[in-house]
Amino acid sequence: MCGISGIMYKRSGEKGLAPIGRDLVNMLQSMVHRGRDSSGITIAGERNEGDLIIRIWVDDCADDREILKRSTDTITTLGGHIENSSVQGSFLRLDVRFAGEIRQLAESLLTQRGLELHSIGKSSEVIKDVGTPSSIDSRHSITAIQGTHGIGHVRMATESRVDISHAHPFWAYPFPDVTVVHNGQLTNYHSMKRSYEDQGHHFQTQNDSELIAVYLAEKLSKGASLNHALEESIVDLDGTFTYLVSTENGLGYAKDQWSAKPLVTMETEDVVAIASEEVALRRVMSQEIDRLEPQESEAMTWLL
Amino acid sequence: MVTLNASDLSIRELNVKIKELAAQFQEITVVDPQARHNIGVGILQHATIKIDGSVGYYAASLMDGPEVTINGNAGWALGDNMMSGKITLTKDAGASVASTMRGGEIFVGGNAGARAGISMKGGTLVIGGNTGFLTGFMMQKGKIIICGDSGEAVGDSMYEGEIYIGGKIGSLGTDAKIEEVSEEELIELWNELESHGIKDKPRFRKVVSAKKLYHYDSLERLEKTLI
Repeated sequence: MCGISGIMYKRSGEKGLAPIGRDLVNMLQSMVHRGRDSSGITIAGERNEGDLIIRIWVDDCADDREILKRSTDTITTLGGHIENSSVQGSFLRLDVRFAGEIRQLAESLLTQRGLELHSIGKSSEVIKDVGTPSSIDSRHSITAIQGTHGIGHVRMATESRVDISHAHPFWAYPFPDVTVVHNGQLTNYHSMKRSYEDQGHHFQTQNDSELIAVYLAEKLSKGASLNHALEESIVDLDGTFTYLVSTENGLGYAKDQWSAKPLVTMETEDVVAIASEEVALRRVMSQEIDRLEPQESEAMTWLL
Repeated sequence: MVTLNASDLSIRELNVKIKELAAQFQEITVVDPQARHNIGVGILQHATIKIDGSVGYYAASLMDGPEVTINGNAGWALGDNMMSGKITLTKDAGASVASTMRGGEIFVGGNAGARAGISMKGGTLVIGGNTGFLTGFMMQKGKIIICGDSGEAVGDSMYEGEIYIGGKIGSLGTDAKIEEVSEEELIELWNELESHGIKDKPRFRKVVSAKKLYHYDSLERLEKTLI
């Protein structure tokens, strides 16, 4: 069991940025009974000074400072310029001016042992850690971050280990801003992963949910629309899943053919909120509006 | 009548209070439930309970006797394993409403999610709107009445019982078949709907078990050696 949630302020273009961090923490904390071993969020549509927001995490065994220094050197060598950087324990957040190829940047950064890339986005970032939503909020000050939309996850691990790497969301390496949170288990994970690896795709963890991110990255890079990629995934992925995806300007969900994992949505003219349970929607939607429950094999997207 | 504000209480405290008040034959109103789980679970006597707002999972489940009215939506497994009593839900129910229900009546004013009436063993489930995937899955007894459309695989692997569908049937499940509905049955169904304030008189179709998966007479190989 896991809990997922997503929110989009559809008019944030005209009305200004919305408290996405606060909303996601509130929604996830209300579903903490669905999983409390790790939590994570993607906040999208942030205002940033550079071209890219890079989120790096350094493994406990590695020398943090040395790796962080080498990362900044790597970015500079590739023609990037660091506008801003902040360090929170083993987590590094960089605002970078960069006009080069993101795949090359990601590959160069990942040559360092012990370094993991949680996300590269033009206006989004992934923050994930072990612990409950409120405890990771107190470490990473998520509540203060504003944006246009985002997704979040509370995890109860069933298929892979409990640590920061295996927490959600998963970034669709090397596709900027595309991240995924998933509730369920994929049964064709190993065969699909092997075939993607043969095609040169990169996996950072052994979590089956990472496959969905790579799958979507592959589809989107070949020109599929987000909605089409989600619909195709319902046929191609096997097992139980309800997942949410966040892109630079979009939010979407897909639900498996068995309708095995829950999802409910509420939508007004201004906001769409999505979550595993209505209890989370009630934290952000004060009006008494209709709740919709997507059924089997359904996919849906909202674009800003 | 006593009003309980659910937002002031933990679910355990709320359920203890509901049981205490029910034992005193008080009418109970619960306000501000905020779609939390397990509200009104395990009430084993007659009681009148009104819940103003949406409830989460397993609302009014494991109950034997009460009449519960919920003004809002319900999450998964509303009325799970109900023995007797009545639940009236004004809006939509999540998946697995009336799962393993044994008796009594559950009325859903809106739509129901997937697996409505899964493994039902008695009682009546009435849905004012549509139902989702696998309605009446492995149903063993009882009656499901759907005024609107059903999802795919209705009555999949059902043993006994009847599923009446007023609208479109998504598809029949494995070992389910459509059977004639008599005029007497129709009148009985319409009366049932009228008791819930539904004036429409749909020409229901009935789905029952084709019983082709019944293999009770064939013994396992090991069992044969024992005879």
